[in-house]
Amino acid sequence: MSKNRTLGGWLIALVGVLLVSAAPAIADVPLVYATIQPAQITLGESARFTITNLGDSAAPITMPVVSGLQFEIVAHTHQIELINGTTLPSSSIVVRVTPQMAGIFSIPGVTPKSPPVVLQVNPPPGSAGAPRLSNSPAPIPPPILAGGTIPKGVHLTEDGSAYVRLGVPKRDVYVGEIVPVEIEVGMRSGFVTQFNGPPKLTGDDFTLNNSLLREPDRSERMIDGQAFVLLTWHSAFSVVKPGSFPLSAKVPLRVKIRTQPRRESALDDKFGDPFWQNFFGPSVRKDINVESPPQELKVLELPAEGRPADFHGAIGTFAIQSDVSPVKADAGDPMTLTMRVMGSGNFDRVDSTMLAHVEQWKTYPPKSTFKTVDPMGHKGEKVFEQPLIASKPGAQTLPALSFSYFDPNTRRYETAHSSPLSVTIAPSLADSALAAPQVPAGAVSADANRLAEGLKADHAAAESFVSSLTPPYLQPRFLALPSLLALAFTGGWAGTRRRKQPAERVAVRNRVAWRAAKRALAQMEAAARSDNPALFFIAARAALQQTLGARWQVAPEEVTAAEVQARLSDDDDIQQVFALADESRYSGRDLNSTDFARWMRAVRQRLLAEQAR
Amino acid sequence: MINSARWAALALSAALMSAPVYAEPAQVGYSAAGLYNLANAYARQGKPGMAVLNYERASLLSPNDPDIDANVSYVLASSHLPARPRGTFERVVRIASPFASSWIGVMGLVIVGVSALAAQLSPRQRWMRRLCVLLGVSMIGLAVANGIALWPVLHEGVVISAATPVRVSPVPMGDSLFELTEADTVKITAEHEGFWLIQTRAGRTGWVSRSNVAPVVPRN
Repeated sequence: MSKNRTLGGWLIALVGVLLVSAAPAIADVPLVYATIQPAQITLGESARFTITNLGDSAAPITMPVVSGLQFEIVAHTHQIELINGTTLPSSSIVVRVTPQMAGIFSIPGVTPKSPPVVLQVNPPPGSAGAPRLSNSPAPIPPPILAGGTIPKGVHLTEDGSAYVRLGVPKRDVYVGEIVPVEIEVGMRSGFVTQFNGPPKLTGDDFTLNNSLLREPDRSERMIDGQAFVLLTWHSAFSVVKPGSFPLSAKVPLRVKIRTQPRRESALDDKFGDPFWQNFFGPSVRKDINVESPPQELKVLELPAEGRPADFHGAIGTFAIQSDVSPVKADAGDPMTLTMRVMGSGNFDRVDSTMLAHVEQWKTYPPKSTFKTVDPMGHKGEKVFEQPLIASKPGAQTLPALSFSYFDPNTRRYETAHSSPLSVTIAPSLADSALAAPQVPAGAVSADANRLAEGLKADHAAAESFVSSLTPPYLQPRFLALPSLLALAFTGGWAGTRRRKQPAERVAVRNRVAWRAAKRALAQMEAAARSDNPALFFIAARAALQQTLGARWQVAPEEVTAAEVQARLSDDDDIQQVFALADESRYSGRDLNSTDFARWMRAVRQRLLAEQAR
Repeated sequence: MINSARWAALALSAALMSAPVYAEPAQVGYSAAGLYNLANAYARQGKPGMAVLNYERASLLSPNDPDIDANVSYVLASSHLPARPRGTFERVVRIASPFASSWIGVMGLVIVGVSALAAQLSPRQRWMRRLCVLLGVSMIGLAVANGIALWPVLHEGVVISAATPVRVSPVPMGDSLFELTEADTVKITAEHEGFWLIQTRAGRTGWVSRSNVAPVVPRN
């Protein structure tokens, strides 16, 4: 008895020494975290927000400020915790959080590196914003700590600090299929100090979407009597080639482990549990990779047999539904054909080619929207909205739409069909402008009747109609008439003018010659008055040359004395005029007034005679 | 063949009787009286857009009918829309309908042509010929001026639906810029796949569905 008491005393002393000696080892970077409990309350209630500082140094803690939430510090606590074999002084601040309105609030982290905490505040039952109107009780938020065991096939790390579980379908998958995957990381409280990166899938044959970069779901659970923090990432991957591939998930972590070799610990054989091993030894931080047990994933090619012609690579489970709005419209009015594809699978391969076969309708490119119900985009609803315009009036039927996909569960191609849609298209007013208006019973309103009272009366019937309201001068058929008339008149005018041209040319030449002759006669009279015989005869010869040249169709200078003698052999006076004109320039012959008058008379008679011809 | 008298009878019965009337939309041609009576029928039913459209069409055939002017002004005023003023030039050159103007222009061409031919054939009666040429040129000028005055009308359309949306692009899902009032008159500047590009009197432009705006002169 006394021996046992002595052994217990030694043990207590040893624990005390170890606690004191290990204290400096963990006095480093403080670890500050915040929790809220419960995470879901009803308006009017309060939640407890606890800020815990694990360490003896004071970390800069700022009290959060959130619009709609009131924070009130209710307690400060200080304690020393024994975690992972080290003494850990900690302090906590307990804050009462009282919401002033319903909603989902995000309380920012108390330090720059700590994550935010979410508090959901439901409106009181029976209020306008209450989520439930029935008398069913509000759901009880799940307890933070629930009992459980390590998932099947999953093993803790050697030091018992963490595990990784990879959840994939237990069946074969197909090339191009979007495969949902769940990565759960369980971390024993106090062992893991930080993440060194997001989880990764091993292997290069997978294309993983980027949902692993999002915040994981967080929960806490008692597993085999130990507190574990569970972080769960939901993602999806696809495989680009067939074959068998090992698949596992890897998470880089930083943990606290004991530095003393196990064999040097006197308590190894006594306890054997890694927690106690770390508890009783000095610890250091170490980066490790925690990997899930590898799984074999078999990837198959899509079967060629039975592949529909309209299959475009959609793999999953889908259903389609279509409707049109409005179901009654005028010709030319736009309508909207809506097609919904619901289910799970690779929605990126769900396209609108099924809408391309709507004949006798004017269609426009559809627009699509995708509403997902999970963060991976694997489940949801894709909605295509295609504007349509009916080209013909009457009762029309939009044909049933079909969509082909491959169902990996049934391992065969499936085709989903929608129901045909009936619509009624009325003639457009613009197209039936000549039609008398249609009047259903009682459709003429009182306003219309008042309007009718101010109208001038109808006109009597007319008997003349035109086939088109386009003015005739803009109609090609009518324009042919004035064009032909203009051509005819232009042709006639040109022909007449051409026929008249020779005689007219002679007449014009005679007129010109007569004007020149008259000018020469005036010069002769002036020369006679000035008693200048030389000038008189030169003017006389010029007048005769103009007139006779026009008459003989020769140039005036070609009318010479010899030509006159040859052609006018019977007219001695004119021959003499040409001879005297040459002679008078040198002879200096004198003429009296009687001579001037005689020669004047002779020349004038000849000119008149030629003009009269 | 359905003449304007039957149109008037159908319209009258449509306005007065309670039983539905379904008329045959036969394209038998246009007459001023028929269009006028049709417009009256639409006005009595409270459809100012179709009423103004048919008044405008009737005005093309009978531009000097005071009843047409009075009724279109009345319907526009009832729809709280301003009446379109007609300028002096338009009143003068639209003294004759475009159909009469066309034939007047042809007659003027004939007179000018015959006068030119006569001048070639005989130099006599020069003053008479000049008078005839002047008359013929005036008649041709009247037809040309009529066309100039009517050109804007030929490119106009009437809004026949209430609250017609005007969109930024010629597609049904195009964003709506503003709305047009029924019976308003707009200028049609272009067409694209079932849509008109229109311009309002205020100068605003946009696309409207062809089912909402009917051109004054139907386009085939």
